[in-house]
Amino acid sequence: MSGLTFSSDGKTATLQMTNVPIIDQPRWPAMDAETTPAFLDFRLVFASTDEPVKYEDPMRQYRFEGFKAIAKLEASVRVPSIDFAFKTDPLDTSKCDFAVMGEEVNGRYYEASKT
Amino acid sequence: MAQVDRCAIGLTRRRWLGFGIATAVGTSLRATPVQSQSLPQSCAPPIPQNHEPSNGGSCPYPIPWLDKNGNHNQPAAPNVELSNIYHFKGKLARCSGFQGMGADNQGNRQAWGTPTTDYSYMAGEYWAARQAHQGVFAHT
Repeated sequence: MSGLTFSSDGKTATLQMTNVPIIDQPRWPAMDAETTPAFLDFRLVFASTDEPVKYEDPMRQYRFEGFKAIAKLEASVRVPSIDFAFKTDPLDTSKCDFAVMGEEVNGRYYEASKT
Repeated sequence: MAQVDRCAIGLTRRRWLGFGIATAVGTSLRATPVQSQSLPQSCAPPIPQNHEPSNGGSCPYPIPWLDKNGNHNQPAAPNVELSNIYHFKGKLARCSGFQGMGADNQGNRQAWGTPTTDYSYMAGEYWAARQAHQGVFAHT
């Protein structure tokens, strides 16, 4: 099933999508890099830790408050025109260097939400 | 909105395969789970009729200092703007630097992931066309 779901305690979020149209562009970011249609299925799971984080920049009008998280990803990609497909190993085998989850306010909502 | 973002997912083909992903996902935020679908193109600014004012389109507004090229080429990290949408409030999660292993359809085992293998979700309210909108967006 595609969609974004949260656990009842809000500490785990799962984003799952199938047949997302994407492009295969091996020579990106070259200006004339050719593209090939491709499709992506993925499941991404965030699990919050208890370590709080707050990132705020009043000059740029944004504030993020939340927690460091553990993120895991499994995905499969298909490039039909060249008969190429790639599938990652199961979710728990992936590693992620940086992940956070929480609440963000920015732009016109920044000043209004100041506490 | 043509795209929320565009970045690279590092999946290995030859040395690594650069997947530039131009994808936006917009839905109504009513309940969990939220069903995903492609964002309709109808968020483009409409041409006003009968001298009505123009308030712009309902597409989410990009982060002004990041989207000079229509991209969001700032890897997720501490103390940076993590949202892809300006004038936004709501739930957000962001991650980057995935690494793992996988196999292609020929059975070749290959590593995947780069520092810019970067995903997020944003679920909440954004301001566009002089009114609030509810949406869920994924950055892949």
